[in-house]
Amino acid sequence: MADEQRPQGGSSYGGPPRREGGGQGRPGGGPGGPRKGKRQFFRKKKVCRFCVDRVDFIDFKKVEMLQPFIQERGKILPRRMTGTCSRHQRWLGEAIKRARNIALLPFATGM
Amino acid sequence: MEERLYDVIFICRPATPEEEITKIITTLEHACAEKGGKVEKLEKWGTRKMAYRVAKHREGFYVYLQIRSTQGELLREIERRLAVSDVVIKYLTVRLDEELKRQQKYQGKRERKIARRPRKPAPAPASPAEQAPAQPA
Repeated sequence: MADEQRPQGGSSYGGPPRREGGGQGRPGGGPGGPRKGKRQFFRKKKVCRFCVDRVDFIDFKKVEMLQPFIQERGKILPRRMTGTCSRHQRWLGEAIKRARNIALLPFATGM
Repeated sequence: MEERLYDVIFICRPATPEEEITKIITTLEHACAEKGGKVEKLEKWGTRKMAYRVAKHREGFYVYLQIRSTQGELLREIERRLAVSDVVIKYLTVRLDEELKRQQKYQGKRERKIARRPRKPAPAPASPAEQAPAQPA
């Protein structure tokens, strides 16, 4: 997993999410992370796993598909950790919440 | 009247005898038939560990049904029966047809896109002119 830098995000991923604070005005490229001296969040430009697989429907009954996207404590992982695109993150959240309601996934595991 | 597709999952207490569960399923199927619904799928997932305690049980017997119907009333009836039942400790109904429509929309778009132009490995937007240099001269 090399730390590759993609030029001008031409991939279907649509480029990195917008950052606050003026960058150099360049749309893509450059190391990730806001400029305000915070830690860099994104080291690798991950692609959305669902976009790659062309998944159109995230089934809440398939726990094994959802499992990689929750923490040990049961919390849903943020997009910046998983590299999911916004559309799939939304669907994923809905699916996880449904699965939680039917006790296929925990709401919180006390740790 | 559009056809609606529903997913119904319910969990029974773990120690329930098989016939109790079958009785509930039959009741639901009858309700379906009365109101003009059709049971598309029926799966018994069996006893399974639940992610948290429900009604002081750690395991439950999962049953999954998929129902197709034109009447929304049917779901209300099903939910009522599940809520009233003693053995069912949890249930969830999901309406699926909108999502499936969306799924088909995306698939349709994708297929049309593929049909319109051949797949290019490069992420750059394809134009017919670009194919010329790619071909072996």
